[in-house]
Amino acid sequence: MRNQCEPVSGRVKASLQLHFEHDLVSRHTVLRECKQEAPLRVVRAFTLEDGAALVHLHNVSGGLLGGDQLEFVIDVGPEASAQLTSTGATRVYRALDHDGDTIQVNRIRVAENGMLEYVPDPLIPFSGARLLQSTSIDLASGAGLFWWDVVAPGREAHNELFAYHRIELRTKVQALRKQIAAERMCVEPRKRNPTSPGRMGTYRYWTTFYICRVGASNKMWLEAEQHLRGVAAGLSQPQSALWGVSTLPAHGLVVRGLTVHGRDAIAGVRVLWQRAKPWLFGKEAILPRKIN
Amino acid sequence: MNDLSETKPSSSGVGLADDQSAFLKLLQLADSSFPIGALAHSFGVETLVSSGSITVTEVPGFLQAYLEETGTMQACFCRAGFHAASEFSSERWVQINEHLSALKPARESRSGEAVLGLRLMVSVMALGDFPLLRASLDAAKRVGVHVHHGPAFGLVSAVLAFDEEQVVLAYLHQMLANLVSAFQRLLPIGQSLATRLLWEMKPTIIGAAHDSRISDEYAGCFMPLLDWGAMEHADLPTRLFIS
Repeated sequence: MRNQCEPVSGRVKASLQLHFEHDLVSRHTVLRECKQEAPLRVVRAFTLEDGAALVHLHNVSGGLLGGDQLEFVIDVGPEASAQLTSTGATRVYRALDHDGDTIQVNRIRVAENGMLEYVPDPLIPFSGARLLQSTSIDLASGAGLFWWDVVAPGREAHNELFAYHRIELRTKVQALRKQIAAERMCVEPRKRNPTSPGRMGTYRYWTTFYICRVGASNKMWLEAEQHLRGVAAGLSQPQSALWGVSTLPAHGLVVRGLTVHGRDAIAGVRVLWQRAKPWLFGKEAILPRKIN
Repeated sequence: MNDLSETKPSSSGVGLADDQSAFLKLLQLADSSFPIGALAHSFGVETLVSSGSITVTEVPGFLQAYLEETGTMQACFCRAGFHAASEFSSERWVQINEHLSALKPARESRSGEAVLGLRLMVSVMALGDFPLLRASLDAAKRVGVHVHHGPAFGLVSAVLAFDEEQVVLAYLHQMLANLVSAFQRLLPIGQSLATRLLWEMKPTIIGAAHDSRISDEYAGCFMPLLDWGAMEHADLPTRLFIS
C-alpha cells in the first residue's frame, strides 16, 4: 500500500462535464449530459424532495496528485436546480519537484432562474502540495448560487499544519456579465506566515461562502446581510470560530469564516445555508444525503 | 505661479511639471492631513483590536502582512489607475474599479475606499481644470461603480505628471501611516514606537511596490481575518472609526 506521504506524480488531464435541465413533465431537474474522464466520476443523479438533482463528485484516484489538470464544467439550464457535493474531503497530495502545479479548473454557468448549490467537504492540502484552483461562475437573470470552499491547514492528525507548498484559489463570479465577486488568494506558508495577525491569526480553517440571487434589490441584500449577521454572531465564539457576512457589490452576499476546527467550519456553513435559503428563495436547504 | 491645470499626463511628453514641484505636490496629496478623511477609517483593524486578535506586540507582524497582501493589491490598482491616464478609456477605468470592488468582500472597506477615492478626485479637481478627472468621475457615475482610492490616486498622479514609482511608494507609505495612526488611537502606542514602526517598514513598502508590478488581472490578497474585522465593525458597541 502506498504511503500517503510519498509524493506521487499525477499528470492526469481529465474533464467532467455535467449539464442539468429542468424536465417539464416530471418538474424535476435531470442530469441530461454527463461526459466524464477518469479519474473523475459521477455515478448518477438523485432527485431531492424539492425536485433538484443531487450529484456526488468522485475522484477515484483518491485525491489530486501532483501535476494533475482537472476540469469541471457545470451547466445548469433554465429553471433547473442542481446540488453538487463531494464524497469526502478533497485531498491534495504532495507534488514532486518536477511536477507542475496541481490544477483544478471549475467553469460554471447557471442559466435563467436556475440554481446551483455547491456544498463540498473541505479541501485538505498535504505537506508539499501545490494547488491552483480556478473557478469562474456566470449567473444569468434570476439565477441562484450557494457555493462554498473550506480549506484545511493540512492533515492535522499527522501534525501537518500549513506544511503545504502553495494553495492558490482564484474565483470570479459574474452576474449578467458584470463581475460581482473576485478572489485571488495565494497562501505560501514558507514565504509568508499564514498565521500572521490579519491573515488567519490563531485560526486554522478558512471558509468563503457565496450566496447569490441575481436580480434581487440592494435593499433586500442589506436586509439579508442583517439577517445572516445575526446567525453569524450566534456561530462565532472568540478563539474558536469567527463568522462575518457582507453584501457583494450587487446580487449577493459573501461569508467569511475562520475556525480552529474543521467541524465548526462545516457546521457553520451548513447553518448559514439552512438559514439563507428559505429567507432568499422560500425553500429549505436539503443537506446532501451522505450526511443525513 | 504655475496652475495645476497646466500639467499634462507624463506619457504625453509635453508640459512636464518641474520635478521638484511634482515631488512637493505628491507629498501634499499623500499626506495624512490631505482632507479626504483617510484617518476616519480603520478598515477592520478596530474590530481586530477590540476582539483581542491584535495587541501591541502583534502590530509589527500585522503591518508587514498588510503591506504584503492588501498593500501590494492596492498598489497594483494604483498603477492601473496611473496607466489608465494615457489613452484614457472610460470602459477600462470602470473595469479597474469594478474589479477592485469585486476583490473587496467587506462592504465597509469597499465603501470606505470609495469615499476616499471620490474625495481625492474632487479635492484635486478643485485645484484646477482637469477634464480627464471629470470624465473619469462621470464614467463611474454613469454605470454606478465606486471610484476607489488606489486607482484614483494613480490616475490623479498621472494627470499631474508624477513619477510612477514615487507615486506607488508614496501611496503605500500613506496607507501605512494611516494604519499606524489608527493603532495609536486604539492601542497604547506612543510617538516613539509609531515612528519606529513607520521607519522599519520601509523595506516592506519597497517590496510591496515591487510586487505590485503586475497586471491588475492577477491582483489579490489573503487577509481573511481582516475581512472578518471589516464585516463585523458596524456591530462593535463603541467605535472610534467610521462604519
